[in-house]
Amino acid sequence: MTAQPFTSESYSGDAGEYAWQDVLRGFGLQSLRARHGLPAHASALSRLSSTGVRLGKLSADAQVLRSLPSRAGLPLLLMPVENSTVLVVGDERQIVPAGQLILAPRGADWQVQFQRGLRAVVLSVPAEAFRGRKVPLLASCQPRVFDAEGLPDIIGRTARATAEALDRLTEPEWEAVAQSAAELLLALSAELVVATSDPSASRAALLQRLYATIERSIGGEEIAIADIAQAEGISERYVQKLFEGTGESFSHYVRERRLQRAWHDLANPAEAAVPIAEIAYRYGFSDAAHFSRLFRERFGLPPRELRRREADRPAHGAVASGQRGWPQQALAQLRARQANSGPLRRPTQREDGEEGAPATEAPTRHYLPVHAKHVHWGYFSRSLEPLMEIASGDIVTVETLTQHASDDPERMIAGDAGAESVFHWTPTAKTVDRRGAGPLDASVFGRGAGEGFGVHICTGPIAVRGAQPGDVLEVHILDIEPRRSRHPAHAGRVFGSSVAAWWGYHYSELLSEPHAREAVTIYEIVTDTDEPYARALHAYRWQPQTDPFGVQHALYDYPGVLVRPDTVTFQPNVLEGVRIPLRPHFGVIAVAPREAELVDSVPPAYFGGNLDNWRLGKGATVYLPVSVPGALLSVGDPHAAQGDGELSGTAIECSMTGTFRVTLHKKADIGGTVLADLTYPLIETPDDWVLTGFSHPNYLAEFGASGQSEVYAKSSLDLAMRDAFRKMRRFLMTTQGLSEDEAIALMSAAVDFGITQVVDGNWGVHAILSKRLFSHDRRPAGMDEA
Amino acid sequence: MTKHHLHATPDTVHWGYFSKTLAPVLTLKSGERAVIESITHHANDDYARMIEGDRAAEEIFLWTRDQKTLRRRGAGATDGPFTHGSGEGLGVHLLTGPVAVEGAEPGDIIEVRVIDTWPRPCANPAYEGRFFGSNPAANWGFQYKDLIEEPKPREVVTIYELDMGEAVVRALYSYRWTPQTDPDGIVHPTIDYPGVRVDHGTIVKKEGILSGIDVPARLHFGTMGLAPAEADFVSTIPPSYTGGNMDDWRIAKGARMYYPVAVPGGLFSCGDAHASQGDSELSGTAIEISLTGEFEFILHKKEQLDGTILEGLTHPLLENDEVWSVYGFSVANYLAELGPDAQSEILKRGSLDSAMRDAFRKLRRFLMTTQKLSEDEAISLMSVAADFAVTQVVDANWGVTGSIRKSLFEGR
Repeated sequence: MTAQPFTSESYSGDAGEYAWQDVLRGFGLQSLRARHGLPAHASALSRLSSTGVRLGKLSADAQVLRSLPSRAGLPLLLMPVENSTVLVVGDERQIVPAGQLILAPRGADWQVQFQRGLRAVVLSVPAEAFRGRKVPLLASCQPRVFDAEGLPDIIGRTARATAEALDRLTEPEWEAVAQSAAELLLALSAELVVATSDPSASRAALLQRLYATIERSIGGEEIAIADIAQAEGISERYVQKLFEGTGESFSHYVRERRLQRAWHDLANPAEAAVPIAEIAYRYGFSDAAHFSRLFRERFGLPPRELRRREADRPAHGAVASGQRGWPQQALAQLRARQANSGPLRRPTQREDGEEGAPATEAPTRHYLPVHAKHVHWGYFSRSLEPLMEIASGDIVTVETLTQHASDDPERMIAGDAGAESVFHWTPTAKTVDRRGAGPLDASVFGRGAGEGFGVHICTGPIAVRGAQPGDVLEVHILDIEPRRSRHPAHAGRVFGSSVAAWWGYHYSELLSEPHAREAVTIYEIVTDTDEPYARALHAYRWQPQTDPFGVQHALYDYPGVLVRPDTVTFQPNVLEGVRIPLRPHFGVIAVAPREAELVDSVPPAYFGGNLDNWRLGKGATVYLPVSVPGALLSVGDPHAAQGDGELSGTAIECSMTGTFRVTLHKKADIGGTVLADLTYPLIETPDDWVLTGFSHPNYLAEFGASGQSEVYAKSSLDLAMRDAFRKMRRFLMTTQGLSEDEAIALMSAAVDFGITQVVDGNWGVHAILSKRLFSHDRRPAGMDEA
Repeated sequence: MTKHHLHATPDTVHWGYFSKTLAPVLTLKSGERAVIESITHHANDDYARMIEGDRAAEEIFLWTRDQKTLRRRGAGATDGPFTHGSGEGLGVHLLTGPVAVEGAEPGDIIEVRVIDTWPRPCANPAYEGRFFGSNPAANWGFQYKDLIEEPKPREVVTIYELDMGEAVVRALYSYRWTPQTDPDGIVHPTIDYPGVRVDHGTIVKKEGILSGIDVPARLHFGTMGLAPAEADFVSTIPPSYTGGNMDDWRIAKGARMYYPVAVPGGLFSCGDAHASQGDSELSGTAIEISLTGEFEFILHKKEQLDGTILEGLTHPLLENDEVWSVYGFSVANYLAELGPDAQSEILKRGSLDSAMRDAFRKLRRFLMTTQKLSEDEAISLMSVAADFAVTQVVDANWGVTGSIRKSLFEGR
């Protein structure tokens, strides 16, 4: 069957946990950790062969896996990828570094602890994969760890390469690879026996070699027990004794194997034209009539009848029979609960931006001016001291600065005390030293403290009283005001900058010379008119800039380096006559992520962050899942206008001040609302719901320690589209009570998918659901099914 | 002004393919209009509502043991034995045409203005005058391998009614696809061949679905385009440089589409009409209905293109009152780029990543060529003012639309 993708993002609440256990069950595994209360992330890509071989790559939060009592089969192969893991057998604990192989018998008492997140390739081979060939019973053996050399290395590489290519292999390719992997694992399993001193195990190993010899000589007319014994250097009598120990005589076993193999050849559509007598002869039956009789005795039908039945089997039967794994009962239960919980509630009732929810007192207003001490630059952190604590329902006005003000210091910094404070940088003083999540000593590239691994000036964080992981923070944008120039020559006017930067989508394929160039365009934002717009003032090509500490920036690789006007050539008359309608919004609205101490501000993910969706403007709301106490809200990256895609790497970056109403929705109160089970940033505008899909919805959990670099290498619109699809399906099923079929029908007919950005590491596709669709009174469907 | 009428009849339709070998069923002059009827290839999902009583539809869909009005359905083999049927369903859309434009030569551009559209009423006395459509969540849909409920996989057909008074579409009922045996005895376990009549005795109807939900109507033709030059028979499924199965709901009343001419006369065909569709056409189909359109055809000769928005155009371009849109595809001209097996190779190439790349390049070129912007200006403008959207992820050659508002340039 085809590769089966799985992600917990498809499911609501506990259904995700059930579904994940189901994925693991397919491998004969079980997760001991059920971490309730926090949205747990898990994803997998696995594939099952027609013979039952299952191979997959699993990624999830930290957890402990153990073996389920399961059907007979070879020991499981587990290969930790990237993170090391701990194998626990009884009282013994063994650290297994990434790249080594664990071979662990099924149904035995062992555990594998993935303490830093589960990232592993798993291969499961059941006994039936060998089509009746006997495989040793190894349940009594101890798990063993293999270094990546020799046969284990070959298996490890094969399994890993296959796991990476699972969804690209054709059906015949996959079947061939799966069968080879099974054979390789069988060979390695023999090592498990050799290693043990248990005499029964060494007998099993010998028997296994005998089986293999029989398999090789099965086509001969007569398989003499003497020849087999001689090949292994043991006596005939001992061979017989070994077989007696299995409850089956040597000759009976040989005939059984011959009939089994004939059965498979007869059932193989590719051999439909081969005469039955020829297949019989292949397996040592020179008399076709005799073969037919034996065959019927064994399988209950004559060879000819088997062939006829196989030919009649509908072509799609193979597909339908491969459907195991993903649970529907979990979802059905969930929907039943929702159906019983009555009509949907909105998290807060309000009209036209006015608060309608019962408020005991008028909301408190707060003001957060921008200042070096009020910003964190280029990173989010769960450990930052909040600047203020507000209560749910409070209104807070936050000044934000664009990190691109340094592209034109005269127009965007000079005379502005707040901006001057943040951008202040001389050979002896740099008020905001850390810019980015990199090392403070700039030991990676030497660009500067924080290495520019993250670029946005974020104002905050603001703590929200009582916010706890599992709650949802609603951030409603009441107003956005551009920040005006304070320089005497430009006072009162508004400016912004847009950089076609090296991280832009276009950079690798510029048409005109010089090829590797970065272009900065300075825009003026004209607001004193009915339809405010932006127009380009001038542009310049980036030239190497030397910062006050003496580091030269040949590229735009570190934020806030003040561009010296005398180093660049201004080009006037750019985009002449072009008026760009404004779409003022904040690129970054974030709560602190839980996974790491310092998180790069560039890739957006479940915690919000650099969403870069222009729909997040005045009148819009974003709902963010809280993952640390106090939520720790930060805002930044203000944009005057941006297109869907943000192609060049930046929007029109323009300092702005936002006024927000911040409302906390406690976990206990959101069941049955549109916020139930929210694990991603959800945008609401007056007309639409906008769901945010990412290449990697939770890249910090998915990639673990390497997440902050992997996410840049592995982004794709195809993945982001997949994520947006799954989130919208879940949203429609969970909050609107639709069945899966209804949700899919509606998505095809009425949901618009668009490209948010292709430049923020973790690329985005959003899905827009018009609220107009639901304007009528309706009861959830699916309750009156026939 | 001359206005032609092209009814949908067995003689004016072709099923599942574009072909430069087809004789035009209508030839008109630049500037003339034509009213063209189209019938949806999904009409047999509910014979009683979408075919019965409609003589033209009955004739076109006629298929008995002895008679099949339109044998070939698709660009595949027409000599048996067949896996699915003649033409092998390699291309599924029932198109009306082709219409030739006098004097059109390769290198020219044909502009097609959509003047108006109106749905085809049901002619069955039981439902007379009402409008119905079908939306199968099909095996080629984006969801098919990623379903969470059992049974997996499955195909589900939802039948809708279009309310022209309120301009909304509402679901009537749905059913799971069951294996259907066609009159020639071939079993269709999935939706793998167009126009197979669904025996409603084999299905279980589920009523009350999507209750209370009004889908705003977005009447449009999913497939409009010219005949490509590269092959004699070209599947209608993957869109390409001469248009075809664009599946963009913005190609609606008021739109002007520009297509590069690849063969003499251009050979325009249309069909695959939709009552509504979202950007992405996620499940594999839209709400498929029968629709009639009035079109105006304008020929732009190669010599006259310089200095207009058509300069250097080698791909379909949309213009309406608000925007220009270019269409990026996973493979821009798959027939030329993918070699002799292009029509099967393209089935493996669908990707938004390559379609976005193509849309970016086309929009950059459009801005540089027609608005005389420098490359740096074009890139800055695209970042701050152009919108990229997912057109479809189900037509083999996936699409990303790059749109730029015309109002940006009004001051120039």
